[in-house]
Amino acid sequence: MKLRSTSGRLRTAMAGIAVATSVILAVAGCGAGGSSEGAAGKLTVLVEGGGKAELQPIADLYQKETGTTVELVELPYDGLYDRIQTELGSGKTSFDVAALDAIWLSAFSAGVSPLDELFTDDVKRDLFPGLVTEAQVGGSYVGMPVWTNSEILYYRTDLFGDPKEKAAFQAKYGYALVPPTTWKQYKDVAEFFTRDTNGDGQTDLYGTDVKGAVETEWLATVSQTGEKTMVLDPKSGDVTIDDADHLAALNFYTSLLPSAPPGAAQLDWAGAQNLFYQGKLAMMRFWGHAYTQTPANAAVKGKIGVAPMIAGPGGIAGVPGAWYLSVPKATGKQAEAKKFIAFAYAHNNLSIKTSLGLVARISAFESQAGVAGHENYPAILTTLKSPATIARPATPKWQEIVTSVLTPMLQKAVAKGADNAALLKQAKGQIQAIVK
Amino acid sequence: MNGLETRRRPARVILWGALAAVLVLYGFPFVYLLLTSFKTPLDAIAVPPQVLPSQWTLDNYVAALSKEGVVPALINSVATAVLSTAFSLALGVPAAYAITRYRTPSGRIFVIAALVTRMVPTIAVGAPLVETMRRLGISDTTIGLAIAHTTISLPLSIWLMSSFFEAVPVELEEAAKVDGSDRLQAFRHVVLPVVSGGLAVTAIFAFLASWNEFLFALLLTSVRAQTTPIVIANFQTQFGLDWGGMTALSAVYSVPVILLTLALQRHIVAGLTLGAVKG
Repeated sequence: MKLRSTSGRLRTAMAGIAVATSVILAVAGCGAGGSSEGAAGKLTVLVEGGGKAELQPIADLYQKETGTTVELVELPYDGLYDRIQTELGSGKTSFDVAALDAIWLSAFSAGVSPLDELFTDDVKRDLFPGLVTEAQVGGSYVGMPVWTNSEILYYRTDLFGDPKEKAAFQAKYGYALVPPTTWKQYKDVAEFFTRDTNGDGQTDLYGTDVKGAVETEWLATVSQTGEKTMVLDPKSGDVTIDDADHLAALNFYTSLLPSAPPGAAQLDWAGAQNLFYQGKLAMMRFWGHAYTQTPANAAVKGKIGVAPMIAGPGGIAGVPGAWYLSVPKATGKQAEAKKFIAFAYAHNNLSIKTSLGLVARISAFESQAGVAGHENYPAILTTLKSPATIARPATPKWQEIVTSVLTPMLQKAVAKGADNAALLKQAKGQIQAIVK
Repeated sequence: MNGLETRRRPARVILWGALAAVLVLYGFPFVYLLLTSFKTPLDAIAVPPQVLPSQWTLDNYVAALSKEGVVPALINSVATAVLSTAFSLALGVPAAYAITRYRTPSGRIFVIAALVTRMVPTIAVGAPLVETMRRLGISDTTIGLAIAHTTISLPLSIWLMSSFFEAVPVELEEAAKVDGSDRLQAFRHVVLPVVSGGLAVTAIFAFLASWNEFLFALLLTSVRAQTTPIVIANFQTQFGLDWGGMTALSAVYSVPVILLTLALQRHIVAGLTLGAVKG
């Protein structure tokens, strides 16, 4: 009797599962995201999560004007790389256009179509030199810049505009307190603002941060020395990371540690940004897009000023954080995909009103000069137009170099008693082993 | 008696202390995730980190659940996991039964082969699966993803169910046959009820394998069949991580699994015990 009863319950459960499975099978053909459109008149664009908003207004307008649906497939940053790598490797792709991070261009260049015909003289004139260089791999243009970013200088206007602070700074350093433009000024101002503000014996305001968990800010510092071969020359394979300019950059970078909060080795973008928002930093070097995204409850809301990135002996320099639109060789919609990319370039300024508000064309940046609330555009423009601003090396091994050499090296460099020259020499050997 | 109790007390205190430590160790990340989901953006990335929110808010939940694609992804996750579980049980249970009851060399090879598939890195079969799904016309569909997930859970299902069937005495089936049942009836009415705990364990493992799977979902779906793990990962972008949104959606996504585990807790314990003891 008991066996029968248990068996009955099991049968009921199995029947329930069977019914549920049938229902699910009926809908499983298309999934919950909506029905599939026919392949004709449709372009599929792979884009990283943060960049989808940048492309959406362009995709909408393209559909309106051409009738072609543009489906933006949003994937996480790391996942996007894996997905593209897998599909390019398989020889067939589910997408017609992909938005690629600058540092991926070399790795994927063999699988994407040349876009040389899109790079007319007019187009090149309206793009930052660093981006035009970066877009070219193996003699062909493999991606069209769609948006770019750069670190700029953020500072506290309440501190820099305070007459008492101005007077005290003038008295101590012999020149006016202004947003710094040089290494020396930056170091002086950082030192000046590092203090205990409430008299409890603990430093609670720092002049700057020093990021040890990310490498880009140090690379910008390298460019500020005037270095023209950042880390390595991808063509010859020569590794330059231990030359005098790289050492000078690392020495300056770590010289700011006394004016920065402890824990530099673990400090990344999010951590630095939060310290600044909490009012614990007087200055910060950070990506330009963040200017328009200050949280409402930030202690420094309404008290933030921006300026171009500081200059070293070689001038103002940042690292271009550009994304490019590329067409996989495997897609059968080559012409349509290239037409969309040309359209995206032509309507680049539509991205100004998106959440990140990032664009790629010089003219789009220039269009925001004097626009209230968009003070970051001139700062980014000046930084990216500077001759000292150069792109990261075009090597497919770059991501590996960053992860396994540059970031660990920086984390050691920001530790007490670090030997910068020895660290760079060690890094050189590691990079040589990677690229050989 | 009292003396014995007194002697045992220190051992119990140590035992409970150890249990509490393990519980905190395992539970803290999830508790921290839950607490972060109620924090403001500034609290979420505070340096140094703060455990409790200075200001509690539901904004992260509202923002996460109203984000485009979140609700369809949740539906897709449920559909994919249920389908994959059904496929795993439908294929794994008969396979395991046959392997344990018909002890043949080919059966043993099959079991080892099934195990070997678990040793192949998932990414290694990613590209072939992408191509296979495309040829079958089921790319970016729930059924395609469920089939891919079944390739992960099926070997585990076969192995688990094999151990449960091993624990069922053959005499039970023989007795059913004496009473007039054929093998299929004996299987349905005698063996399956006995291993119902094992079925529950296998089902929950298969469900979880699909529910949490990321790589195949990343490679095989785009828009229509995208599951929640991909949407959660989308909160990490090139320019930062939306901790509030990510933790809120992660908390929501954890609820069904926690409820399922609690509901099947008795079966899971019974099933694990059954599989661990040979009759």
